[in-house]
Amino acid sequence: MDFVILSLAMLAIGIYGLLIKRQLLKVFISIELIATGATLNFVTLASAMGKGLGEAFLILAFSTDTAVSAVILALLVIVSKKYGTSDISEIIKMEDEGESEAEL
Amino acid sequence: MILEALSIGLIVSACLALFLDEAVYSVAALAGTFLFTALIYVLNGAVFVAIFQFAVGVGTLAILFLSGEMLSDKPTKKTSPKNTVALIGTGVVLSLPAIFLSVSGSAGSGSNVSFGDALWNLRGVDVILQGLVILTLALGIAIVLYEKKNGGK
Repeated sequence: MDFVILSLAMLAIGIYGLLIKRQLLKVFISIELIATGATLNFVTLASAMGKGLGEAFLILAFSTDTAVSAVILALLVIVSKKYGTSDISEIIKMEDEGESEAEL
Repeated sequence: MILEALSIGLIVSACLALFLDEAVYSVAALAGTFLFTALIYVLNGAVFVAIFQFAVGVGTLAILFLSGEMLSDKPTKKTSPKNTVALIGTGVVLSLPAIFLSVSGSAGSGSNVSFGDALWNLRGVDVILQGLVILTLALGIAIVLYEKKNGGK
């Protein structure tokens, strides 16, 4: 059982979702999966060290991760309310149309 | 054996969270991902981190339940059972390298904090209860907003 490969698999799933999925909620879930993979790797390595210092640092990392998640989610909600959709392709299309109208 | 089962569950729930079409089921699968991660932490000896993971996961899920309806469009199609089974199979296949391959050395014994110590002496139970209170509040607000949106029907 190797947790490095497990966390790499989580990272791969998250990056795949980040590249493929077009919905804002799925993008957020992908970011969460990437963060989970990173923390899983950190925890297992800190556990292999056998000291509590790694866990203390990890709690700090959790706090940062939570703050980042809150900011990302707030931005996603703002974008979703502004454009009325959560599809990234449609949002980009609307943005392009707005720019071309402004140029005219 | 338990760790292998947990790793399979972790990858499968991550796949389901990403590829299920309904937002509620996606968030529920993400809850499973957080739960499996916390259990893996416990079995690795990092009990206090597991408690924090639980609390952070509960907070994230509460916010996701609140904003999930706002962020997701109306579902156009439901995930068929065939696709769900295919997703589970993909997750199992993806977790096999982590079970059978190895690139690192053996894991250590953790930080030598027992579960009871972390829960009672280090007051991990406070963190868990705080997370549950936040989740309850968020679910209550979500229900009130849902009722308000539907005109109290």
